[in-house]
Parts: sequence; C-alpha cells; structure tokens
Amino acid sequence: MISFLETSIVDSLVNFANDAGVVQFFADGGYKALIMICLACFLLYLAIKKQYEPLLLLPIAFGMLLTNLPGAGMFHSEFFVGGHVNWGEFAEGNFGLLDVLYLGVKLGVYPCLIFIGVGAMTDFGPLIANPKSFMLGAAAQLGIFATFIGAYFLGFELNECGSIGIIGGADGPTSIFLTAKLAPELLGPIAIAAYSYMALVPVIQPPIMRALTTQKERMIKMSQLRQVSKKEKIIFPIVLAVIISLLLPSAAPLVGCLMLGNLMKECGVVDRLSKTVQNELMNIVVIFLGISVGATAVAENFLNEKTIFILVLGILAFSLGSAGGVLLAKFMNLFAKEGNKINPLIGSAGVSAVPMAARVSQTEGQKACPSNFLLMHAMGPNVAGVVGSAVAAGVLLAFLG
Amino acid sequence: MLITINWDSMPYMFAVAGVGFLTVFFVLVLMIGIMKVMGYFFTHQRKVKSVAPTGEVEYEEHAISDNEIVAAIIVALKMYKSDLHDRESEMLTINRITRAYSPWNSKIHGLTQLPKHK
Repeated sequence: MISFLETSIVDSLVNFANDAGVVQFFADGGYKALIMICLACFLLYLAIKKQYEPLLLLPIAFGMLLTNLPGAGMFHSEFFVGGHVNWGEFAEGNFGLLDVLYLGVKLGVYPCLIFIGVGAMTDFGPLIANPKSFMLGAAAQLGIFATFIGAYFLGFELNECGSIGIIGGADGPTSIFLTAKLAPELLGPIAIAAYSYMALVPVIQPPIMRALTTQKERMIKMSQLRQVSKKEKIIFPIVLAVIISLLLPSAAPLVGCLMLGNLMKECGVVDRLSKTVQNELMNIVVIFLGISVGATAVAENFLNEKTIFILVLGILAFSLGSAGGVLLAKFMNLFAKEGNKINPLIGSAGVSAVPMAARVSQTEGQKACPSNFLLMHAMGPNVAGVVGSAVAAGVLLAFLG
Repeated sequence: MLITINWDSMPYMFAVAGVGFLTVFFVLVLMIGIMKVMGYFFTHQRKVKSVAPTGEVEYEEHAISDNEIVAAIIVALKMYKSDLHDRESEMLTINRITRAYSPWNSKIHGLTQLPKHK
C-alpha cells in the first residue's frame, strides 16, 4: 500500500515537472523558444531604452514573449492554418487569449480602426494646397514594386512577395492588413521589419537624400502654400474615398476608414468622436494589434532564412521608396518654372512614416540652408504617401488576394 | 527552400509589378486633376466674393496677397480695440467708508483669541 502511494506521488511529481515550461526548453527544438524569448527581450530593450516606436514595439515584443513561453498555450497558429480561421477549434473552447485577439488582425479589423484614428490626426491641408504632392507620394511607392520583384528572385511565392514589398510603404497598419490577407505566416517578421525601419527613418533616409541631390537643390526655397478653406477640407475626404473606392474596391476598407477619421476631424461637429478615435480607440486597438502581431512570431515561423531575407528586403524597399520620391522631384524640376521649383528633399517624405519622414526633410533642408522651412511642404507628399500605400495595398490585394 | 524560382509565373509577376505601379500613379494623378479643379473652384469663388456688389471695383489678381490683407485687418482691429480700452485716471485715492457697528463685521470678534502667556 505504501509502495503504491510512493509510486503515485513520484509519478505525479514527474508529470508536474515535465509540464513545467522550463523542462520544455530542453525538449526537441525547445532551444528555439529560448532564442525567441531572448529576441523579445532585445526588442523590449529597443522599445524602452532606445524608444524605437515604443507604442507598437513594446506590445509586439511582449506578445512575442508570451507566445514563445512553452506550455502557456496562449496562441495556436494551427487555428489559422491555410489562411483561414478554423472556427471549429474556437467552438471547442480550446483557444487562448491571443487567439481571440488575433481574430481582429486576421479579419482585417484592427488596421482599419487604426486608420480611422490616423485620419483624425492627419491634416490634408498641405496636400490640398499643393496637389502635385500626390505625384511624389506615388513615386515613393516604387520601393514596394521593386521589392516585390526582388523578393520573387529570392524564391518567395507571389503572395509573399506582395506582403514583403508593402514594407516599402512605411505604413504599419497597411503592411499588417495586406500580410494578414496574403501571407499570414510572415506577419511577425514583416510587422517587426516595418515598425523597426519606420523608427530608423532618420538614419536610413538622410544618406540617400544627400547622395541624390546637390547642395544647390537642397537650398531651393519653396513658395508659401495657399490657404485651404474649411469647405475644401470637408469635401476632400468624401471625394477621395468615393473615387478611390470606385476605382479600387479592394482599397476601400483602408482608404474609407482613413477618410472617415479625417472627416470627423474636419467637419467640427463630432468633436467627441474625433477625440475618441484619436485617443481611446486608437490606444486600445494598438495594444490588441501589437500583442496579437507579436504572438504570430512563433519560433518555427520566425527562426528561418525567410526572416533574414525579409529584413534585408525591407530596408531595400525603404531606401528605394525614398530614392523614388527624390528622383521624381528632380525630374519635375526639369519642367518647372524658376520660383516654382520643388526642393527634392521633400520627395523622400512620400514613404508615409508620418510625420517622421517630413521631419527628416525639414532637418536636411535646414542643414543646407538654415532659413529654409520645408516641413509643411513635406507634409503634402507625406500624407499622399499614406494614401498611395493604401492604394498600392489595394492593387496587390486585387491581383494576388 | 529559397532561391528556387518558379519561372512560369515570372511574366505574371512583372505584369503585377508594372500594372500595379502604373495603377497607383494613375489613381493619384487622377486625384491631382480633381484637386486642381476643386482648388480652382474654391479660390475662384473666394475671388468673386471679394469683388464689390456693384461690380464697379475690379479685382486685381495678385496685386495684394491674402496674407497682407489679413495683416492689415489685424492691425486695424488692434488699433480700434486699443482705443476702446478704459483709460484709468491714474489717481490713487483712499475712500473712507463708514459702516454701522455690528458684531458680524467687528474685527476683534473675527480674530482667533489666542491664550496669553503670563
């Protein structure tokens, strides 16, 4: 009897020990989870100490940490295998917290909600005053399509190429929206690449801007933008949402939400809603989005050569996008009259990354000529880039989705 | 796994990249056209409004910029408001006010009575 009890207790203790996460680190392939946890801690360090896009990088890194804790069972990538939600698994109740939060990413809800907030925080005035900025915003999407081709030659599938290319749009929610639809298994590396490079815009862009422009071009002073009336600001989001949605229905969720947020801000009659989408809604969605995107970075999806290629292609996409904007501005100057010339430095702001890219243009412009104020001029291509990357995402979704 | 390219889909890939980039350009260039028309309509409307109702005064385009007009109006308003400002007499006077005694306004009752050291 005593011997039976002893055996039972020992078995229970052994089972308990085997269930502990620490033991699973030593199981087959368990070291990968340990590497991912170290990586998550490194990202947390970058977010907290270096303040690299901390609002998103911190929840992403923590989501990554949680999902790689062995035995915690907070996220099950098998529920989303094949690009579909396996509702049967949810019905059985075997889901974890991160599975539920991830539904918002998978169904494309969070990026659109974030876009409402982005729209409510964006002033399209400089773009309305100088519509030529749309051209620079379009040229900066060169990075997306060039990287799309580059990814193909590295052996990625077409849908994966689209998701990798969109990193060049420098727009986190758009990258997540498109990747969740086209290549959900790459969501972790693509989101991390997109947000890390967005934080590194002041490091990546200036050398490219300086290499492609002369001192004389950097010193070009642009004429003051015209005043934009309130009516124009109200009509703009309605017209843009209708036209783009009619031409490209696949871009309607992103562009529609962006313009809804902007209309809330500009009409001036729904201040409460405008403030809510800018603050409370945006913050809540950012938390959910960050944690659930981080959760997709499980060891088997993340620790492979694809991630390294994605990181390399991501920086290439950013650089080509910045170069595209600068080069088109130089090209436009060939036909512009004296006094109407564009400072090519504002071209690089076409890669979205609002308002960081516009600030970089301003800083570089002032380095060339301290009395040069390019910020408002750069905001035009900057917000045009947001529209441009959403349109590019719609195009890629229409072709590859 | 990588660097194994599916050559069959290469023409399609180039078509997606080319047509995609051109579509983005086309949509945004179309928006330039629309914004220019809208801008022309609104700036033209503003100019029409600035013409006197009799139609005798002709609007001189670019003769005076909007900003200069705004600055002139601000200065005029400032001068007008400055004139409206109350001018103090700049004389300091002490008005004696006599009040009827009441325990409610008695100073001695309003003070806290502290114990005295003896």
